[in-house]
Amino acid sequence: MTTLVSAKPANRVEPSSGKNRRRPRRGLFSSGKLVSYVFIFVIMVLYLFPLGFLMNTALKSTAAFNQDPVGLTTSFQWGNFAEAWQKGHFRAYFLNSVLYTGAATIINTVVSLVVGFPVSRGYVRHPRLWYGIFVAMLFLPNALMTQFQLVLRMNLYDTALGYILIMASGLGVGPLLLVGYIKSVPKEMDEAAALDGAGYWRFLFTFLPPLIKPVLATIFILQAIGVWNDIILATILLPDSAKSPITLGLFAFQGTYTSQWGLLASATMIVAAPLVVAYVFLQRYLVGGVAGSVKG
Amino acid sequence: MSEFYPFGNRAGLRTTFSLGMGFVIFFAVVPAAAVIAISLTDIRGLPGIPVNWVGIENYVTFFSGAKLGYNVHALWNTLIFAFSVTIFQNFFALMIAVALSTKLRGRTFYRAVVFMPTVLGVTVIGLIWSLIFNPSAGPGATIWSWFGADSAFFGDQKIAMALVIFVQVWAGLGLAVVIFLAGIQAIPEELYECASIDGASGRKKLRHITVPLLAPSFTANVLLCIVGSLQSYQLAYVLTGPNNPATQVLSLAIFTQAFGGGTSSGSVASQGYAGAISMVQFVIVGIISVAVLLYLRRQEAKT
Repeated sequence: MTTLVSAKPANRVEPSSGKNRRRPRRGLFSSGKLVSYVFIFVIMVLYLFPLGFLMNTALKSTAAFNQDPVGLTTSFQWGNFAEAWQKGHFRAYFLNSVLYTGAATIINTVVSLVVGFPVSRGYVRHPRLWYGIFVAMLFLPNALMTQFQLVLRMNLYDTALGYILIMASGLGVGPLLLVGYIKSVPKEMDEAAALDGAGYWRFLFTFLPPLIKPVLATIFILQAIGVWNDIILATILLPDSAKSPITLGLFAFQGTYTSQWGLLASATMIVAAPLVVAYVFLQRYLVGGVAGSVKG
Repeated sequence: MSEFYPFGNRAGLRTTFSLGMGFVIFFAVVPAAAVIAISLTDIRGLPGIPVNWVGIENYVTFFSGAKLGYNVHALWNTLIFAFSVTIFQNFFALMIAVALSTKLRGRTFYRAVVFMPTVLGVTVIGLIWSLIFNPSAGPGATIWSWFGADSAFFGDQKIAMALVIFVQVWAGLGLAVVIFLAGIQAIPEELYECASIDGASGRKKLRHITVPLLAPSFTANVLLCIVGSLQSYQLAYVLTGPNNPATQVLSLAIFTQAFGGGTSSGSVASQGYAGAISMVQFVIVGIISVAVLLYLRRQEAKT
């Protein structure tokens, strides 16, 4: 898969940046390391085999799959992707999902920023109380019914807007990550910007974001993953199949082409591809963002 | 606290902060709080039907003879699911994080691979594993046949739950590993160096330095995992459908009650009753997470 290739350069850099301490001379591997390698190897098989199998199946014709479902594919049926894309109407679903994910994620990240920053800095009264509220919001009860009723009563049922607003309002860990991360930005930055005549908004929306890029990227991608992969709220709020996001499209596709595993696997890869690509580009931010916020 | 504020005019701050919080409160917090209110009504999933106040009738129904067996079964499934996922996920995540922290070659790559399912999402993961555990032909069936067995996998009442637990652990491991790794990296290198000088073995260092100092990450991971899995049902929904008794958990019962789950009752489903289940679940999640939190805090203080 694409990640395997592109994730590599990043890890080449890391070991050399560590301290150049001399290793104890106990052959190539100490016994502890050998155990670690074997263990990690087993884990890698458990993770890479299903993905490889999916890809292998995606490249098989239905006849070839029925003959030998497990063996490596011999003829590469790249046409499966085009066929799945066409038959599943994935173009329309894809555009729907891009709209929902883009809009909900941008709103969500901006909201996390505007509520997280003042709480982190103590610019609002009772910052600890607000922080407690952010934590409490993670433990709210299952509110599918009431969110459905709210959207219904606002006349937003079966509209893109209603779905986007509900998806954008689930902040999750966003504000918490942000509060933790902003502690690593010195308060003097705020003062310096203010002395230069920047107002609150200018600081918040133009000076601060470049300084906290890793955590913003983390929030953005975690949220994008959540919205892109949602099926439950989409099932409830968007009954019209023309408005379905790509996950529901895939679910419907599975219902129609139950036994055509080649097509089904291609469709699955089509749905997963955008996130995998985004993940490859953002993963170095992602880990840095989580780590930075946990430390703070 | 709020004395220090370099930007002069607070109007900008007030506007964005209250707009942001107002938005979240209106679309997320108020609906969550309103679950209590609707659990006391007979509200349905269709507009225009009058809504009546029914008091605690929904709760009485939940604990009544006709429904009790089903609900206890769903509750039992929920607990089995949540505790198995929490135990396996944290155990393996800790092992992987410790292994990756020993400066293995290519560890960034391994971490990226383990994190991958977090990106893929429920539908894709569901399809991948239904492909593997395809009863008629697939790698799962091949492995089973080595032992002279065959199985309907997700259709098999006996092992469906175990498989869903397995897939959930597979899917959730990555985030737990990243949190543990962040915790391990925060442990000062000097501690290990001191221990090495004192002649401590790798295993001793693990037991006496890494594990105790990881306690906060452990608490965070266990709590996130238990709360998440007590409420999770998306994977069971995708892998086994909404009406499979073997994997019927409370959250799935809420969904099928409120929205019919596509098959039986349809839009006349009672959302008031679903609200009552949701409240019962909320109380259970609350009790368990507070108990777990207190227990882990006490352990943290001990070490």
